[in-house]
Amino acid sequence: MLNSDSFIAAPAYALRDVTFRYATSSRDTSESVLKNLTCSIDSGKILGILGPNGSGKSTLLKLLARVLLQGSGTIELFGNSFSRLSQGEVARRVALVPQETMQIFPFTIAEMVLMGRFPHHRGWGGWHWEDSDDWRIAHQAMEELDVTHLGSRLVTDVSGGERQRAVIARALTQEPQILLLDEPTAFLDLHHQLDIARILRRLNRERGLTVILVSHDLNLASQYCDRLMLLHHGQIVEVGSPLEVLRPELLESVYGCPVLVDGHPQSGLPRVSLPV
Amino acid sequence: MLAVAALCTCLGFGTESIAFSRIWSVLLGALMGREFVTIGTDPASVILLQVRLPRLILAFFVGGSLAMVGVALQALLRNPLADPFIIGISSGAALGAAIAILFGVGISVWSVSALPVCAFAGAVLSLLIMYRISSAGTGFSIYTLLLAGVVLNAIFSAFIMFLTSVADPNRAFGMYAWLMGSLTGPDFSTLGVLALYLGVGLIVLGTQAQSLNLLTLGEETARSLGVEVERVKQLVFVASALLTGAVVSFSGIIGFVGLIVPHAVRLVLCADHRLLLPVAGFAGGIFLMFADTIARTVLSPAEFPVGVVTALVGGPVFLFLLMNRNMRVGM
Repeated sequence: MLNSDSFIAAPAYALRDVTFRYATSSRDTSESVLKNLTCSIDSGKILGILGPNGSGKSTLLKLLARVLLQGSGTIELFGNSFSRLSQGEVARRVALVPQETMQIFPFTIAEMVLMGRFPHHRGWGGWHWEDSDDWRIAHQAMEELDVTHLGSRLVTDVSGGERQRAVIARALTQEPQILLLDEPTAFLDLHHQLDIARILRRLNRERGLTVILVSHDLNLASQYCDRLMLLHHGQIVEVGSPLEVLRPELLESVYGCPVLVDGHPQSGLPRVSLPV
Repeated sequence: MLAVAALCTCLGFGTESIAFSRIWSVLLGALMGREFVTIGTDPASVILLQVRLPRLILAFFVGGSLAMVGVALQALLRNPLADPFIIGISSGAALGAAIAILFGVGISVWSVSALPVCAFAGAVLSLLIMYRISSAGTGFSIYTLLLAGVVLNAIFSAFIMFLTSVADPNRAFGMYAWLMGSLTGPDFSTLGVLALYLGVGLIVLGTQAQSLNLLTLGEETARSLGVEVERVKQLVFVASALLTGAVVSFSGIIGFVGLIVPHAVRLVLCADHRLLLPVAGFAGGIFLMFADTIARTVLSPAEFPVGVVTALVGGPVFLFLLMNRNMRVGM
């Protein structure tokens, strides 16, 4: 069980010496995706995890969601080691919004959002019918993400942006303290990118939800994240505010290409562009 | 209620057709304990109670179990075309059962237990192979699984053919009839044994219904929502193998029930496994009762294996689904 005393004082996550490699069938010398990662992640903030392809961003996020079981090292969630928490105990605190949501069976949006209540049900194997409380929580989350009108539509029949909002509604239905998102804006147009970013900021400011997101979009991360973590070859090269992390010389060495950094016309925060 | 109505309808058809009112009076009489008086004196009640009723109950059990295993495998493998017959689980179980029969385990003293156990072992073996295939590599598509199922079916069939060709011709003939799916000649005690196996398997599947819902989102997402994925997979696999093994050892290979019934139920009802599992179970049972009635009556007084009917109905449906998918998803 989660220790409630350490719950307030402890950071959201504390990672010590976390190393991970994907198990491969061949005996080749598969390189570790993450190497001896040690860091601590504060609660109540929006953290952006950045880095080039293959730097280990998504792997780190999946480790934090306990979707991948860690190779070595320890991960503590609010001061409690993952090894002593059940999958359900983690899922009551941490929700994951994966990059893509596949569904081949005709589930409706409302049914999918309600699945977020699963970790709160104690029945054998999760056998449980949702009660009015569950419906209320799911309904509230759907209102918040503006997907209520899609409730009876099939998951397969809505647009990518609508599905993404519904998946975030499902994550909120878990009533988590931490929300993890893998490339939440990757497949969305500008309008929906702004939508999602604003929703995340609102949830963070109004509810104190800790948000950790992986992104390739340096500019969106710069605008909306309190802190950034830059990964390269499975190691942390820099953690800090957008100003501290989005430095041209650092980005050039990590991404291996020249970049221009100036200020955002509204906020003055770093804006990254590619040279012509 | 529907199941009972279907049962009564099917009871009426046969070489000797029996009127509805007659069926009711015999059934009600039997329920109230009067069958001991009438049995032996009234041919209609003998046919009904000792031949048709147990056979239809067997059909109901078998059809229901196959449909529910189909539902479970489809969710677990995230493949709407999975079916115990198509992906080779049934033939694995049949190989196990064939070994038991031909090597005489089936006619030994513990005949009641040995046959389903061997079939269960065969089903587990083929499920393990299928699962290895379906989880290997990243670019895995639903067609890999179907292809693997075809090959697995071919391999198991080859083994079975080899066994039957070296076996005593008398036994081999019985084997052939059984392999094609037959619901002939159960008595109430074998039905009881079957019900025991099915009960265990169905209870296990039923408790995992909500976990199956979440598994359709993918294993990683299911885990992030608190599902103990490995445990659920093990439970569902063992239960599916148990059900398939039990069903195959009693009735041979009956295909496509696990494919078309779940599809139909999803189409008219919903995809929620807490409803889908029981409703598909009843629908599958009713479907096979009707299929068997057709198999008994079309060429009456001769009959053909019920597997012929399900394949003739299910095969085209399967092809249609395959075509439809191709056009929609472009895979």
